[in-house]
Amino acid sequence: MTRRLPPGLVWVAPALLVLAALSIYPLLYLIKVSLSDARGFTFEHYTRLFQDRLFTVAAGQTLFYALAALTLEFFLGLALALLVDSLAHGRALVRVSLLAPMLLPPVVAAVIWRLIYNPEFGVLNGMLRQLGFHTANLTWTSGRTSAMLSVILVDVWQWTPFLFLLLTAGLQSIPSEPLEAARVDGAGYWRTLRDVVLPLLKPTILLALLLRAMDLLRIFDQIFILTQGGPGSATETASLYIYRTAFRFSNFGYAAAMSFVGLVITTLAARGLMRLMKIS
Amino acid sequence: MRFVLSAALVLLAGCSRSGSNNTLTIAVNAGVEGSALKAAAREWGEIHNTRIEVVELPYANLFEKESLDLQSRTGAYDVIMMDDPWFPKLVAENGLTPLPRPPDTDFLASTLAVCRNAGTFYALPYVGNSQLFFYRKDLFEKYKLGPPDRWQDVLKAAQTIGTGEKMYGYVMRAAPGNSAVTDFMPLLWAFGGDIFDAQGKPSLASPEVIDALRFMLELGKVSPPGYAGFNADEVSAHLLEGTAAMSINWPAWIAAMDDPSKSKVPGKIEFAQMPSARLPGVAELGSWLLAVPSASPHRDAAFDFIYWATDAPQLTHAALRGNPPTRRSVFLSPGLVKKFRAFPAQLAALEGARPRPRTAQWNEIENAFGVALSQANSGAISAEGAMQQANREIAAILERSK
Amino acid sequence: MKTILKYSAALLAMAFALAPIYWLITISLKTEIDQFASPPVWFTFTPTLRHYAGIFAHDAFGHYFLNSLIVSTCSTLIALALGLPAAYGLARFRWPGDWSRGISFWILSNRMLPPIVTIIPMFLMLREIHLLNSLAGLILVDVGLNLPFVVWMMRGFVEDLPREIEEAALLDGESRLGVLLLIVLPLVRPGLAATAVFCLIVAWNEFLFALILSQTQSAMTLPVGIASHVTQYEIQWGAMSAAGVVAILPVLIFASAAQRYFVRGLSLGAIK
Repeated sequence: MTRRLPPGLVWVAPALLVLAALSIYPLLYLIKVSLSDARGFTFEHYTRLFQDRLFTVAAGQTLFYALAALTLEFFLGLALALLVDSLAHGRALVRVSLLAPMLLPPVVAAVIWRLIYNPEFGVLNGMLRQLGFHTANLTWTSGRTSAMLSVILVDVWQWTPFLFLLLTAGLQSIPSEPLEAARVDGAGYWRTLRDVVLPLLKPTILLALLLRAMDLLRIFDQIFILTQGGPGSATETASLYIYRTAFRFSNFGYAAAMSFVGLVITTLAARGLMRLMKIS
Repeated sequence: MRFVLSAALVLLAGCSRSGSNNTLTIAVNAGVEGSALKAAAREWGEIHNTRIEVVELPYANLFEKESLDLQSRTGAYDVIMMDDPWFPKLVAENGLTPLPRPPDTDFLASTLAVCRNAGTFYALPYVGNSQLFFYRKDLFEKYKLGPPDRWQDVLKAAQTIGTGEKMYGYVMRAAPGNSAVTDFMPLLWAFGGDIFDAQGKPSLASPEVIDALRFMLELGKVSPPGYAGFNADEVSAHLLEGTAAMSINWPAWIAAMDDPSKSKVPGKIEFAQMPSARLPGVAELGSWLLAVPSASPHRDAAFDFIYWATDAPQLTHAALRGNPPTRRSVFLSPGLVKKFRAFPAQLAALEGARPRPRTAQWNEIENAFGVALSQANSGAISAEGAMQQANREIAAILERSK
Repeated sequence: MKTILKYSAALLAMAFALAPIYWLITISLKTEIDQFASPPVWFTFTPTLRHYAGIFAHDAFGHYFLNSLIVSTCSTLIALALGLPAAYGLARFRWPGDWSRGISFWILSNRMLPPIVTIIPMFLMLREIHLLNSLAGLILVDVGLNLPFVVWMMRGFVEDLPREIEEAALLDGESRLGVLLLIVLPLVRPGLAATAVFCLIVAWNEFLFALILSQTQSAMTLPVGIASHVTQYEIQWGAMSAAGVVAILPVLIFASAAQRYFVRGLSLGAIK
């Protein structure tokens, strides 16, 4: 008995083909590169990976960066979405203003903040000095812990709008009946928020978190411009380390191995998150 | 609709391929050196009725692009500019075309030395950079300080000026990578240390090196906080704004220091030789070279250009743009000496300048070394710890490349 | 009282969002000395248009701008042209077992591919077919970046539409393609607009691929041009910030025009 192809396939096929060409082939090629060096087949890139202290540090820092930025962006974005939603006037103006940062090329945002953070001439320390603070030790991108926090702040500045946008859309799509019912029941603002709004918002929240998390794990542009992974390796992330290994040290095999391992980890993580979302 | 788009795409693919017969593509450094070569190329292009396409990139990106182009033999560039430490890597795997005729003897020997591999010349030296020591002459006179001949003098002067004035006595760059290493080498050498010993093994864990690093940390105490993340632009900004009194720097910055539209202290900065410590001060060589990739489709025209661009008249033009030349005759030409008061000092420094270690793994080594230096300067690890870590990693790099 | 607090908070948020952008604009209009002045100069400076003139005259900025424009619009159009039918196919047809979900997940998982992973093979692939250092190559790559997002978003929007209209048309003898173009397309316009703007922004701001896959000016885009002003010896703040300002203008204009679709479009779709 012949099995008929699903009728929808012809619609999906072109997109699938393009994506396959742009992802399956490169992935196979990546695996091949990760298993070879100048002399032929070798596992040595993977064995080196497990002993590479710097890679573990970079991976750990990537994770820290992602979690910290995601948490801040989410709570700020949610707060702003709720706030703006409750304004009587000027909602559109506020929204447009708040969205502006995420429109900049990350490269431009990073260069601007690099100037802002400059300890001597930057506007941040300049303002603090005018307010009477001692800025001698506020070196933002050059201190060990402050570098990471400074870089995270840039991400929060640029991408909170993204979460704000998604959560606003989610809020707007909440039907009015449950809210009415809660009001009739005499529930106050926080009760309504906790028992009605947030549960209805859950799918949006999970989608927003998933989308943002995927982008955070591969963060590159800002750190490249702001600190290049420094001071020392305080802001070194996985992407930066891989990039440098491939394009500055020309060690494509090792870079490929790291990329592959990174890909496996993020796929597993995303799978877990999606299970949480219970995609239909 | 889709049809139109695909047709447009095909058209675009066609038009964006350069490679017509009368083009020359040059890859230059985004900075003073690159600007000079750009101007030279445009002039040459007009004479020879050739279209010049310029690719201008910051330091690290320039290396990546050139290295990628040479390795994969894409032939995107006809002429490339390279910093001399890149030479061993780029010449490997037959990436560069040997010069059709050897360079003449007017070139300074120290600059020619870095253009050679196994006795054959692969590049011509375009900019003869050797570090100079910049210091505020007016403040030295004010505090009756002697010239900064020794590093110990430098430290004392920095402390004096820092306490007496509302500024920092010293400024340096210690961002991981090229910045930190380049500024540290003169100190390292003056204290008697080096990256490799006579047998070619990494020698960063030696007492001389650790002393040098400890001294650097002392200098750090009189430098603006955050210097552990500084690059060249921050260092120069401090000098130009008058908020720091001394630093190591490259001659490319001399013009800006005296330019009233850029500098708050024109005429007040003096340019001297590197200070000494246990050994006489040695300037680090930073020569920009011109070469022709072997995959270039326009090799003859490319060579024609680079010989022309490194000839005396063109080097004089480049010098007027702030690039120290690589020919003795140009350094000694009366017109230039009158204009550039530092030329005699520069020539002497350049002739005795020392290049960084010649190894194809330089980029990786510089990275490991730079990270360790930056960590020591930001207080993350001790001086000994940093140098031992750097030593270990450099040994591993060498091991892997065998 | 509460209203005052709310509006103050909103104003504070707006200030935080916009101040750095304002700073960008002022840097692009200041002379070098003013740029680095301490204490910082907010309003009282003599503006100069030197930097803007410079980037167009000397720095091939017009070229980068045009390249970015071509790459962004073409890749967005192609991504929409491929993605909408795919979304329709996933949303409206019957699929055996778990295929629909599996395909959707696979498509979305491509969005997770860090560019770092595909960049080396992509470089070599494009070199083989002579699309290296070309706008077409970049367009191709950006289609790959945006297609998953388009499919994901549009699928939600399509699923939200009531089937009845389409089914009526089908019964009337309309072809599936006709249904898609004549009925579905107009109805999902808000979602399409929102998706299109996102795609444009992603392609416009894309950096890593544009950096590695381009070798000469003919193929370099704005972010690459801007980053190339971050030089080792002298960050050309004036030129870079002028470039930055001009880089965000088209995006801001387009985004504010499509602004009303953003929120409505997103809320109609994919929020499941």
